[in-house]
Amino acid sequence: MPLTMSQISDPKIAFAYLRPNCVLLTREPSVSNVKTLGSQLKEVNDATLQQLQEYVLFPLRFVLKVPGPKKDKLVQAVAETMSHILENTCVQSWDTLHGLFSELCLCLCSPTDPGKPADTSEELKLAVLQCLDALLHAAYGDIVFKLFEPIMLPGLGAAVSLLLALGEKEKSRDIQAAALKCLQALTLQCDCTQEHVVPSSEEQHAIGSAMASFLPGISMAVTRIITGDLRQGHAVTVRAIKFWSSAVRLVLEDVQLQASQPLKTPSSDLGRIAQLMVPRTQDWVKSTVGKLSVLLKKIISCTSAHRHWRVRLELVELADHLLARCSHSLGECVGLLLEALVGAVNDEEPRVRERCEVSLRDVSQRNQSSLNSSSGDMTSSTHTFTDVLSENLHSLATSLPRLMRTSDDQKKLFVLNVFLGYLKVLGPLVCVVLNSAAHLERISKALMQVLELDVMDVSIVEERSHSSSIETSSSAPDYYTAHIQRKHFLYFTDEKILSVLMEICRTLGFYGNIYLLTDHFLDLYRQSSSYRKQAAMVLNEIVRGAAGIGVATESQGLRGEGDGCSATLKEDLEAAVVSVVEEYISLNNWHLITVSEETDRDRQDQQLLSPPRLLSISNNDISKINVNSLQVIPSSFGSSSPSSSTPTVHQLNSNIWQLCIQLEGIGCFSQALGRDFRPLLMTSLYPVLEKAGEETLLVSQAALGSMWDISKACGYPSLKELINENSDYLLSDISLNLQRLNQHPQAPRVLTVMLTHSDCSLLPLVGDIVQDVLMALDLSYDHTAALFCSVLHALMRALARWFPSSCTRTNESATSKQTSTDQEVLDIRQFLLDYCKQRKLAEGIGIEEDNTEDLEVPPPVECEDSGDMEAPDVKAELPSHLRISKDVMERCIHLLSDPSLRLRLKVLDVLELCVCVLSEKGDELLPMAHRCWPALLQRLTADDPLAVLRAFRMLCTLGETCGDFLRRRVSKEVLPRLSSSLIRQAPISAKAGPIYLHTVAYKLQLAVLQGLGSLCQRLDLGEADLDAVCEACLPYLSCRQPSPLQEACLSVFRHLIQVDADTFWFTLNELHCPFSYTPPHPDLQPVQLSGMDRPRDEYSDNVLKLLREEFDSVSVTVDQKIS
Amino acid sequence: MSRPAPSPIYTLRGAGGPLNTLHFSCLAGDTPLLFSGSGHGVVHIWNLNSRRAERNLEGHSGSSVIWVNTLQSTGALLSQGRDMQVCQWDLREGRSEVVDSVWTGSVGFCQCSLLETSSGSSLLAFAGQQTEEIKIIELPSKKPVCTLVPDAKVGMVMCIKLWQPDSGPGPLLLAGYEDGSLLLWDVTQRCKLSEVKAHPEPVMCLTFDTKRLRGISASCEKKLSSWILDGQNNLQLQDLSVTLVNPGVSQLCVREDGKLLASAGWDHRVRVFGWKKLRPLAVLQYHSDMVLSVAFSDHQDPRQRLLAAGSKDQRISLWSIYSEGANSS
Repeated sequence: MPLTMSQISDPKIAFAYLRPNCVLLTREPSVSNVKTLGSQLKEVNDATLQQLQEYVLFPLRFVLKVPGPKKDKLVQAVAETMSHILENTCVQSWDTLHGLFSELCLCLCSPTDPGKPADTSEELKLAVLQCLDALLHAAYGDIVFKLFEPIMLPGLGAAVSLLLALGEKEKSRDIQAAALKCLQALTLQCDCTQEHVVPSSEEQHAIGSAMASFLPGISMAVTRIITGDLRQGHAVTVRAIKFWSSAVRLVLEDVQLQASQPLKTPSSDLGRIAQLMVPRTQDWVKSTVGKLSVLLKKIISCTSAHRHWRVRLELVELADHLLARCSHSLGECVGLLLEALVGAVNDEEPRVRERCEVSLRDVSQRNQSSLNSSSGDMTSSTHTFTDVLSENLHSLATSLPRLMRTSDDQKKLFVLNVFLGYLKVLGPLVCVVLNSAAHLERISKALMQVLELDVMDVSIVEERSHSSSIETSSSAPDYYTAHIQRKHFLYFTDEKILSVLMEICRTLGFYGNIYLLTDHFLDLYRQSSSYRKQAAMVLNEIVRGAAGIGVATESQGLRGEGDGCSATLKEDLEAAVVSVVEEYISLNNWHLITVSEETDRDRQDQQLLSPPRLLSISNNDISKINVNSLQVIPSSFGSSSPSSSTPTVHQLNSNIWQLCIQLEGIGCFSQALGRDFRPLLMTSLYPVLEKAGEETLLVSQAALGSMWDISKACGYPSLKELINENSDYLLSDISLNLQRLNQHPQAPRVLTVMLTHSDCSLLPLVGDIVQDVLMALDLSYDHTAALFCSVLHALMRALARWFPSSCTRTNESATSKQTSTDQEVLDIRQFLLDYCKQRKLAEGIGIEEDNTEDLEVPPPVECEDSGDMEAPDVKAELPSHLRISKDVMERCIHLLSDPSLRLRLKVLDVLELCVCVLSEKGDELLPMAHRCWPALLQRLTADDPLAVLRAFRMLCTLGETCGDFLRRRVSKEVLPRLSSSLIRQAPISAKAGPIYLHTVAYKLQLAVLQGLGSLCQRLDLGEADLDAVCEACLPYLSCRQPSPLQEACLSVFRHLIQVDADTFWFTLNELHCPFSYTPPHPDLQPVQLSGMDRPRDEYSDNVLKLLREEFDSVSVTVDQKIS
Repeated sequence: MSRPAPSPIYTLRGAGGPLNTLHFSCLAGDTPLLFSGSGHGVVHIWNLNSRRAERNLEGHSGSSVIWVNTLQSTGALLSQGRDMQVCQWDLREGRSEVVDSVWTGSVGFCQCSLLETSSGSSLLAFAGQQTEEIKIIELPSKKPVCTLVPDAKVGMVMCIKLWQPDSGPGPLLLAGYEDGSLLLWDVTQRCKLSEVKAHPEPVMCLTFDTKRLRGISASCEKKLSSWILDGQNNLQLQDLSVTLVNPGVSQLCVREDGKLLASAGWDHRVRVFGWKKLRPLAVLQYHSDMVLSVAFSDHQDPRQRLLAAGSKDQRISLWSIYSEGANSS
């Protein structure tokens, strides 16, 4: 700085330079003179100033000392100038310090009442405060402590109360802050960047003793500042908190109080001053702490949720500071401080969180180290610390349910965070705390009450139906976790609260004795049904926590020797898990009713009648079935069920949740044990799969989620591997339970789930079980047919998925045939062979020879020989999926005439799938088709419209695969009825309103029209039949018909046109002809079509559309070919 | 007693063939194992903890395995196949190799009988090449001890049981023959001690309780006949006999504690009787084909004891029956 260069460094010159002004000022105190002096002083360097300090200060002090009222401006100027001097010099003499100190204090207080601040300008106060601050900083170490001698108590007290008053009452934040800073400086606790005197322990003691007298006043006043106006800004509050904590620390520091000090009797010459002194005796400390705790409570409640993070940080600092230095003497406050500390563990501001974690770690380490060091003789201090913590925990657990009921979410979160914090601070001591029955009881009861689920929500029981169709189509593992239904709790809604609660449980499991905990909570689980769900939730998390999952990592360090005993821990955990799983899947807790019988049946009906899936099958779009393959779970279908008898709904809801929680639990356990969970699959996988097949969406979803968890934990890449590799366990149980169906009606369901989630590699494994199923079905058609039908359906659906057969292939080949005629030439040989085969078959001969012929390769002779050895009279074994399909189809033929409509519909579905699978092998399919034809015909002609609808789909599928095998039968037995019914219905549908679209009759019409075209084409029907079809369909070209029917009818014609374009061109033109055709040569007869010149009528639109689409395009392509 | 019949506690699947024979090895400390011999010549070693086949031993070139047993002293496994071989397997430390084999020459179904005499050596009795012949050799030296051929025409040897009586110098052997007669042989004297005509049809199986000197045998008819051995080593038929609902028993087995008798029925059922009075106790129904073998486990703890049944339907079912009361004895 250039200025310093020019500063006067010679004391003599400086003296000469300053003297005139000093003299002038003494004579004539004015603002200008003071300012002149001030500016001159700036030109003197620090060392010189130090030498001249007393001299320069004199006129200034003289100004202040002059009796009588002074102008504010003057005093302010003086104070500023003095500040400058003091900031740059040291005060070495006690007299100067004392004198200045009291003079400055006098400037601040009102002349009439020395205890109150003067009514002067704010600038003045600020200047004086800064000056005072500078003075205290400038004081030499050896003299500053004289301030704290007993003799100084009155003066000090006056200053303190004055500053407190300033800090509290002033409106200006700066003054408040400056006053507080002064107080800090006065107690040698200043936190500014300047150098400070470091007091020795004796000096500390002296300060402490002196401040003890003022502690009540200080603590109360500062508390008022802290809890005062929120608008005062965080700076003041932060400083106030800081001062509070340092003041308390000064007086109540453990080191001071423990140091055995000779109780100095106040010397008699002090007189009345001796009364001011406070001996810091045990009793005094006790009563003071009692009062402090009240204040502390106020401070904490006011600042723990302060909006500014610095304030919260300061509170953490305070707690940390006091816990570190005064934890013994503060006694009952320790609990409060800890609470404040742990409450900030989950602060939203990371800096606060970090600080808090550090200090918590310190606390718990201090705690543990003192515990370790004093393992022989437990010092009372550690005892009390643990006691305080556990007591706090206890009281918090006691009040937890009440708090959870009454306070708002914010407060609840805070309380729970505190709870969690206690557990973390206790660390391994949790184990000790939990050993006390009272504690365990209290904590568990609190958790039970807090975690109470809200089962009043009726929607859970209904909800499954809405989203089902979308949700089951996805198989991604994360999907299940994403869509898990949120639990509704009675006492809170915030998800964060749940996660804190879960973490509490995990922490309990992490530190606690796993045997004790599982035992206790299992007891609760068994004890009362009202606790069951909560206890299960807690158990799940405890086990996870015990395995170290989801426990905050920072506490890992505290575990210390945990690694050494991990083997035994693992064993303990395994044993605990085994017992819990056993309890979960025990009959009473697992086989809960989740669906009321009535709604179930209704829903099944609905499901069977739901149209969308019919269409997908009628389109023979196997790929579509593949996509929806997960829908096999019967539960996932159906539309909203009418609400059932209300009293049970809550029970159902509760049951559903209990199952979900238990399923989640099994997932958790697998996570906890990892691969060690594999042996448990023996018992637990079957029940989980059983639930995966449950009707209730929520339960089945939870089960699927659990399955994913298990497969991940046990190291299986997907559900498929999980099921395949453990199929022996599953099948063993299934086969057992199939024999006792009345006790275990879920067995088929498990098989269904297995089939749904696995692939064809499972087939060899389930082969014999399928035989079991069929046998069980054979044994009791009456009672179990409906149950088994769903298994058969699942089975066939799985087979159709695993062996995507010719259903799609024929489709493709059919289309390719239509487009290219070249290929047809090549196919003639095959055609003739096929024809020959069909003929033979129709005559009923040589099925077996056919078989070998079909292979196209002459069968090797030696192969036959080896076959002879084992079974001479058996033909080559069918692939198992075909054999199964055949077996199933056989049963279905029987069931096709079951009295129950629902069953018949289901059976038709199964049959259709059988046909799809068997279509691969015509030799097997055709005899079966033949056998099932009579029954199918019955369905088609003389059954409920619903069955007719389904049967027609079946017929279409059969037509796709069997082709001309059906031609005669269809044309003779089916077509007449269908066409007559179409004709009969046409006028009705033409006239009907929109409501008609919801009737069965309409659906039947639509289905027939949609399928008829392709059926005709596939079966290659004769002309007469086509005419009949055409005649039946023509009315539906009318624009008066509902548009889906028109569309369907158009499709019929499109197919028909492909079969015989000319005929139908003519037919259509007969109906309506837009053009007049002029013959190319006048000799030729003019073309006369009855549709010509007809006025536009109801048919014209659709006819034109067809003509345009089908024939224009054809003519264009023909033209192109020619050219 | 109208309690519902129990169901198996679990089943073992995947043998891939009819299960002709079963043998438990559940000594304390080790993993409990069950050996099974299948119709396709494979010996499966089932781990009863994981309920899965641990190892498969194929040493009979696909011929049906009709008998398996273990040598307590060495832990070796013996398996008899219809390829006329008795193989000795070394299974220690995960090995599974044939260390020795004996050619029997028998084409019948007669299972061997093993008697461990002293540590290290044992006697093995098996049906010989001639139809009525029984050979006894010493293991591991394979030294022939004797050959027993009855004087009378009794037909093929069907089943044998070799044991060492408490009193008396040498081991005795019981044999059931094709004509339904039972013969008691003294092995050291090489002479027939007693004979009784137990069945009109061939003796399919027999079991003998060496403590109570009482045995029972079955044929392809409905009757089980029990007999005792009196002090003079005379076989005497007892009045106590059982008539089954359906004929045919493949195997009989008495539990070690002498309380239960189990029969493997051709009617797909396992029947359990009280051994003392042959009171029918339970009909165990699970299998869908002939039950070919039954065995009681040799668990140290009676409560863990199991009954295993192997069937032609390629499954083994394991049952825990009347095991809670066993600890009273």
